Amino acid sequence: MGIKESSKKKFKRFVMWACLLLVILLILVSVYGAFIGAERAQKFVNTPALAVYWFAFILILAVGLVLFRRLVRVTGLLLIHVGGILVIAGALWGSEAGHKLQSRLFGIEKIRTGQMVIYEGESENHVLLEQGQTPKELPFSIQLNDFRLEHYKPAYLLVETRGGQSWKVPVEVGVEFSLGDDFGTVTIKRAFENFKIRIEGQERKIADEPQSGYNPALEVEIRQPNGEAASRYVFERFGGHANPEDEFLLRYERVISDYISELEIIKDGKVAAAKNIEVNHPLYFGGYHFYQNSYDAENGQYTVLMVVSDTGLGLVYAGYVMLCAGVFWHLWVRGVFARRKLKDK
Amino acid sequence: MEIKYTFQGLLVYIAMGTYFLAFVTSLLRCRKAGRVLYLFGFVIAALAFGYRWYDVRHVPLQNLFEVFLCLGMIYPVSLFCRRVLRVGGGCGDMLIGVIVLFPAGFVFNAEPQQLPPALQSWLFVPHVAVYMLSYVFMAKATFHAMCQLAGKGAGPDEKLLGPEEATYRMICFGFPLLTLGLVLGSWWGKIAWGDYWGWDPKELWSLASLLVYVGYFHFRYMFGKKRPRINSTWAIAGMAVIVITLLWVNLSRIFSGLHSYAT
Ligand code: HEM
Repeated sequence: MGIKESSKKKFKRFVMWACLLLVILLILVSVYGAFIGAERAQKFVNTPALAVYWFAFILILAVGLVLFRRLVRVTGLLLIHVGGILVIAGALWGSEAGHKLQSRLFGIEKIRTGQMVIYEGESENHVLLEQGQTPKELPFSIQLNDFRLEHYKPAYLLVETRGGQSWKVPVEVGVEFSLGDDFGTVTIKRAFENFKIRIEGQERKIADEPQSGYNPALEVEIRQPNGEAASRYVFERFGGHANPEDEFLLRYERVISDYISELEIIKDGKVAAAKNIEVNHPLYFGGYHFYQNSYDAENGQYTVLMVVSDTGLGLVYAGYVMLCAGVFWHLWVRGVFARRKLKDK
Repeated sequence: MEIKYTFQGLLVYIAMGTYFLAFVTSLLRCRKAGRVLYLFGFVIAALAFGYRWYDVRHVPLQNLFEVFLCLGMIYPVSLFCRRVLRVGGGCGDMLIGVIVLFPAGFVFNAEPQQLPPALQSWLFVPHVAVYMLSYVFMAKATFHAMCQLAGKGAGPDEKLLGPEEATYRMICFGFPLLTLGLVLGSWWGKIAWGDYWGWDPKELWSLASLLVYVGYFHFRYMFGKKRPRINSTWAIAGMAVIVITLLWVNLSRIFSGLHSYAT
């Protein structure tokens, strides 16, 4: 009996040292990962050596739970340590290797992550993977009804003299803005979403055609102190064009506040879901999250979505909740306040 | 390094000066005067934060300037620790106040910015705020750990805990907040850019800081108070990693070439 007790004690000691070692190793891995950058760090933690490490971590946590009664009896400690297991297990299950394993074992064919390019008014079910891999298909398709950018209001016209004086003129059509006695006034006559010039016979016609492209511009009138006025066009995407004789350098500057894709999910010929996705507001459907990722900066004609599988996410989130509940319960409620009560008595 | 010749800057400098005066006064054993000055410094720091809020019209926790400004309002934490947790070290808190306001006053740009789309999330404020609060507790833990290493008590007050136990209690209080901060950040990452964990340097440093405290807890469980100096060293190491986490984007320039991701 005595020998058994003491060898159990030794084993407990060993497990605690193993725990400490694993924690220190992970600190070193994190610091190393921070130095090599996200992309390489991600590859590194997915190598077989690190896979062994993750399993060892789960194993030691599990052994600890079996060995230390208090880890099971004390609710907070149980939540923390089981939560830790769930987070790692969920992450492994949702990893690239996890997806491959599920495909081999259970025939679950899921795309872990990829991108979709969808043109306005069209629908698409192909997901582009990393370079060199053939695109895969989703069991449903996504239709892009509209893509648009939104900007902070007001936008600004930046006016600068050759001498270095500058003004930030809020873009409000028809409002006269004074540049002081020496320089006169600026008035924004018209704001265009898509500036177009058409030649009709002998005439040049200027029009705003927001449906067919993306070329934001302003028509600006500058009135000199002597009353002489001249109009100019300023383009957001083609800034910095100025004639040598121009007195002012003008720039049209807008800060993007949001990117919005109006999507519909089409399954078996029917609309199964619809959502306008923006940054921070993804669409969830059929085991995937769809994120606003990029867009056609030239013409605003297509959107780029990121597609991410939700495999393992439930486990990870459950682990997070347990971990947080556990630490607050154990260290705040039980640890700090309960001990204080004891002392008061 | 730049000096801010603005009303905002002036408030920060006055708060720093007052905290520092409070610290010196306390060192000279004029405790009462020190406390009054500390309270006064807090009022100024709160004013600076409130003014910023009014100025930018959203909760000012968007950039490092604002974050350090928020950290400057440390007084209620001191009070709470002393009254409720029986952890002293108010004198150290005054110095922490000066230190956290320094970056706001001299290092980081205070130009108001419009929120980029990625930051427009309700998780933004709780994520950062919880982290900042936990950092204040960990800074206090570090102060007590240093007292422990230096062989000094936190004060003559009988009701207060000794330095080793005070360090432990501060970490017990800060650790859940640190965990919550990381989890909220991870959750936000999932919503904003698709992955709950992207292995980028900032995430990795914050993971490392959490793990240092995990190491501290288990080491202290194994050896109790038999190795107080090593316990304290863990606590100080934790703070060192936190500082790197906060400043990595700036520090990483020093290591340019070693990393692919710096902004
Ligand atoms: C790697 C395997 C691990 C083992 C074998 C292990 C084991 C233990 C043991 C035996 C205790 C002491 C319980 C008691 O007070 O009687 C403990 C406490 C604790 N563990 Fe772990 N643990 C592990 C990993 C982790 C991880 C990953 C975390 C991260 C969140 C963690 C957080 C904690 C906390 C917060 C305490 C409470 C400390 C205190 O009350 O002072 N543990 N652990």
